[in-house]
Amino acid sequence: MTKQEKKSFNQSLAEWKLFIYNPTTGEFLGRTAKSWGLILLFYLVFYGFLAALFSFTMWAMLQTLNDEVPKYRDQIPSPGLMVFPKPVTALDFSFSVSNPESYRGYINDLKKFLKSYGLEEQKNLTNCPSGVFREQNGPEYTSCRFPLVLLEACSGVDDPEFGYSSGSPCILVKMNRIIGLKPQGEPRIECILKGENTAVLSTYPSNGMIDLKYFPYYGKKLHGSYLQPLVAVQLIFGNRNDINEVTVECKIDGSPNLKNQDDRDKFLGRVVFKITMRP
Amino acid sequence: MVGGFSILLWIGAILCWIAYGIQYSNDKSSSLDSVYLGSVLALVVVLTGIFAYYQEAKSTNIMASFHQMIPQQALVIRDSEKKTVPADQLVVGDIVEIKGGDRIPADIRLLSAQGCKVDNSSLTGESEPQPRSCEFTHDNPLETKNISFFSTTCLEGTATGVVISTGDRTVIGQIASLASGVENSKTPIGLEIEHFVHIVAGVAVSIGVLFFVIAVSMKYRVLDSIVFLIGIIVANVPEGLLATVTVALSLTAKRMAKKNCLVKGLEAVETLGSTSIICSDKTGTLTQNRMTVAHLWFDNQVFVADTSEDHSNQVFDQSSATWASLSKIITLCNRAEFRPGQEGVPVMKKAVVGDASETALLKFSEVILGNVMEIRKRNRKVAEIPFNSTNKFQLSIHETDDPSDKRFLVVMKGAPERVLEKCSTIMVSGQEQPLDRSTAQTFHTAYMELGGLGERVLGFCHLYLPADEFPATYSFDVDAMNFPTSSFCFVGLLSMIDPPRSTVPDAVTKCRSAGIKIIMVTGDHPITAKAIAKSVGIISANSETVEDVAKRLNVAVEQVDKRDAKAAVVTGMELKDMSPAQLDELLANHSEIVFARTSPQQKLIIVEGCQRQDAIVAVTGDGVNDSPALKKADIGIAMGITGSDAAKSAADMVLLDDNFASIVTGVEEGRLIFDNLKKTIAYTLTKNIAELCPFLIYIIAGLPLPIGTITILFIDLGTDIIPSIALAYEKAERDIMNRKPRHKKKDRLVNKPLAVYSYLHIGLMQALGAFVVYFTVYAQQGFRPSALLNLRVEWEKGYVNDLEDSYGQEWTSYQRKYLEWTGYTAFFVGIMVQQIADLIIRKTRRNSIFQQGLFRNKVIWVGIASQVIIALILSCGLGSIVALNFTMLRPQYWFVAVPHAVLIWVYDEVRKLAIRLYPGSWWDKNMYY
Repeated sequence: MTKQEKKSFNQSLAEWKLFIYNPTTGEFLGRTAKSWGLILLFYLVFYGFLAALFSFTMWAMLQTLNDEVPKYRDQIPSPGLMVFPKPVTALDFSFSVSNPESYRGYINDLKKFLKSYGLEEQKNLTNCPSGVFREQNGPEYTSCRFPLVLLEACSGVDDPEFGYSSGSPCILVKMNRIIGLKPQGEPRIECILKGENTAVLSTYPSNGMIDLKYFPYYGKKLHGSYLQPLVAVQLIFGNRNDINEVTVECKIDGSPNLKNQDDRDKFLGRVVFKITMRP
Repeated sequence: MVGGFSILLWIGAILCWIAYGIQYSNDKSSSLDSVYLGSVLALVVVLTGIFAYYQEAKSTNIMASFHQMIPQQALVIRDSEKKTVPADQLVVGDIVEIKGGDRIPADIRLLSAQGCKVDNSSLTGESEPQPRSCEFTHDNPLETKNISFFSTTCLEGTATGVVISTGDRTVIGQIASLASGVENSKTPIGLEIEHFVHIVAGVAVSIGVLFFVIAVSMKYRVLDSIVFLIGIIVANVPEGLLATVTVALSLTAKRMAKKNCLVKGLEAVETLGSTSIICSDKTGTLTQNRMTVAHLWFDNQVFVADTSEDHSNQVFDQSSATWASLSKIITLCNRAEFRPGQEGVPVMKKAVVGDASETALLKFSEVILGNVMEIRKRNRKVAEIPFNSTNKFQLSIHETDDPSDKRFLVVMKGAPERVLEKCSTIMVSGQEQPLDRSTAQTFHTAYMELGGLGERVLGFCHLYLPADEFPATYSFDVDAMNFPTSSFCFVGLLSMIDPPRSTVPDAVTKCRSAGIKIIMVTGDHPITAKAIAKSVGIISANSETVEDVAKRLNVAVEQVDKRDAKAAVVTGMELKDMSPAQLDELLANHSEIVFARTSPQQKLIIVEGCQRQDAIVAVTGDGVNDSPALKKADIGIAMGITGSDAAKSAADMVLLDDNFASIVTGVEEGRLIFDNLKKTIAYTLTKNIAELCPFLIYIIAGLPLPIGTITILFIDLGTDIIPSIALAYEKAERDIMNRKPRHKKKDRLVNKPLAVYSYLHIGLMQALGAFVVYFTVYAQQGFRPSALLNLRVEWEKGYVNDLEDSYGQEWTSYQRKYLEWTGYTAFFVGIMVQQIADLIIRKTRRNSIFQQGLFRNKVIWVGIASQVIIALILSCGLGSIVALNFTMLRPQYWFVAVPHAVLIWVYDEVRKLAIRLYPGSWWDKNMYY
């Protein structure tokens, strides 16, 4: 039995060799050079044609698009909330007051994010009247100033370390940009501490107000200089010698058309994050 | 049947569960998606398995009901009492009694017998009744007269015997176990499907592993890579194919059952289509299985009688006075009688008591003359000598029906040479003429001519006894023979044959043009066998055997080059002396072969010889002893009417009407289903690429996943099922009975052009079309194609809730997820729309769709409707079920892929046109599947 198997193995090896290169017919992998040439030429032409066709259809499809506004906006009717500094893995900020390295990343992230809000950058923006939508008809679209002073202690102007070194860290909360969104009522971001209260929470601007003058948004192309309104949350921990762990939930409030409760989308109009501060 | 796929899917399911296990150990809140997917995969395997089993069992049930399940009873003497017990409770040593009509319940040795005759045809193939007595006559149990065998029938008489063996130890039982010992090899379609599974599994595993490696080396997490692997496997495996193939085969099985071919195993449906040699019985299959008058000779002339099934058209000249005399002898010198109570039955169907030739003569005369019984009554029989093998004639003496003629009429029939010996005159045109040398010569010529046709010839003569010597009161004594038995007047010859069924010559011609070789295997005499073979076309009119060539050239048989003779008639004796090599040579060199005088055991040798030629062999048989050959054959065909249960259980197919012509319809259906399965598989394979490309692009270019694994399952097991079954209803493209049977090793079900064309041509075009829909959906929602490249990592991060699109808007992860599902639905719809085009192009492999007719196969349209309806239900109705990952789609997205669908159809029409225009060209070789 083994002898037979061995033989058949050798046979199949020989068959394979013959398949890879057959010296009598000059066939390589079952085809002669000419046959390979033909088949490769065919596929070159065929795939070239398909690629051209695909590119053409894609090009034609892109021609139907508007450069300024996407054709449909039905899948993002209501904005989500997001926090800064941007977390690395999950919405879980953890640092040690005594170790600057542990929060350097957060500070850098905040600085980077707030760079576009610098005085110099806002020089060309407009001072808009508060409390009303700023509707524009083009062709030039201007953006409203968002003075950093609104963020008070979290503006990074007075304290370039955003309170991290002093045990009162700042987190920025922002609402997602959606083209054409006009919040009804008086939208504000309300943040609360969940669970044990070992810290005092303050929001800037006071009450987490979001001014209507920053709406609506006209899209990246027309509205390139647009600055989103921000809300800062500062946590002031009472006992800095212990490990402090707090969970904060922020929600959009005061605006009937901005949802803050969705079973499936945990970030629609709300955001929950955790801060762990070690001594 | 598609075991390889099941294994792949099990691997996929297990990988899913492992992936969930890893996820769960890292993060307790991880989603159950992969558990669902694993369970769905397992469910798919189990359900398709159950479905296939159910289908298979259903067709086996037909067979089970076919068997007569009445337990056999035996009359046994136990404790000095006669008891009736079930035959399976007999033990060795029991004394059993049998009588005419009984089936013999075990192998028995006879202790006493009165006029006992048994029918051993199911065992030995001898069709003549065998007398049985209690004398030991031969060492061979099959030959000796004092043994009767289990399952044979006692025709007449009574006997008492002692049981010598039961059950498996009986001669029949041994043959049955021999049959079960014959290896049941895989069916051709089974092999083809296995080959196909190997190809697909090979593609799936190699692409899967390749991309697993690529994914790992691209620094994807191993867990993600496993998920990719699952996706690739699921995309590659045609999950619905097992069910589709089973349904297609059982549809054909049903169609064949309607045409009197009952198929036992579903896979055998196709085997008949690839058959290249049919080894056919003669009696009953090719012939009508009843003796019939074929020729008459009187007035120095041969007349042809109608041998068709109803005898309706007897055209020979009946005006001659000789015919009047001959017909009287035929009518009177005959002991056969119709069974009573058959008034309404047509003559040819009436049951008759009497032997085969007497029955033939009775029916012949009844058809021509009318009421034979009445004629016999008018010509009262006064004495008779029945036929026996020493006399070789039969004689009877009658009063005449002419009241004025007081003479007795002696009529005689028998072997022509014996009858002629007793004659001194011969009747020509009603006049008696002396029988001289020249008339005797014409008689001999006629006799030889009819004998040469393989017919059984009988001579007829009569004599009017002088009224003065034999007055009306004369008492005839058949033992003393007190009447003359010579100086008769010879009237004529009549020859009989078991004529071919009228449908057979046509069927043989069809087989021949379909490239199927028909070999006749019979126990009959070579001359008869050859005559029948010639009359049905198994030996065609212009071909000769070696003996014919020798006769024509007037040389010795040995001097003839065997290759000059197309036909060959080989007897069992010659076959016995042949080596396998010689048999191979015989089978290879002659296209028309008749095996005569073969023992049923030799059938097995012939079948094996044919299989050595790489042929797919069909064998017909009815006897128990045929069962090893039936089993050995690639497809064994048992006769439904005359076949024994053993033959039926060994066979793969049962011919309900015992008619050879039914085999031809079977061949046609088998070939059609092979072609249609090819189309079904091509259709099914095509979309695999469209399902696979998304994963590859996702891994390499980092697009958000275009289609989910669950969605793929909805294509494979949802929208594509009915269309692929619909292809089984497709009519043949060309006359499939005009091409050679497929070569077992060359004409594969799934060949290279099929795979290449499906995967690399149409499949790729489909993938492109579906991607256009996908990109359109994303672009119109704000993500332009350029923004999608390498977006995958950010896209899938659950905590990134402000992902920016091309317009500066920001998306939460759930909003992205929902868009992703919309993308799945769009891709799904894209594939579905193009599968409609794929379905239409797969209707034909060579002809234009317009030649085939777009509306001839209505089921295709049912299939298309089902595709659209299922897709609509999934998208609209079930869009709210999150686990299914379907969303409502804007109506216009349903039409984005339509131009691609049209392109697919145009491209395929061009391909077919080029194939038709340039047969044999490079294009034909590479593009015709």
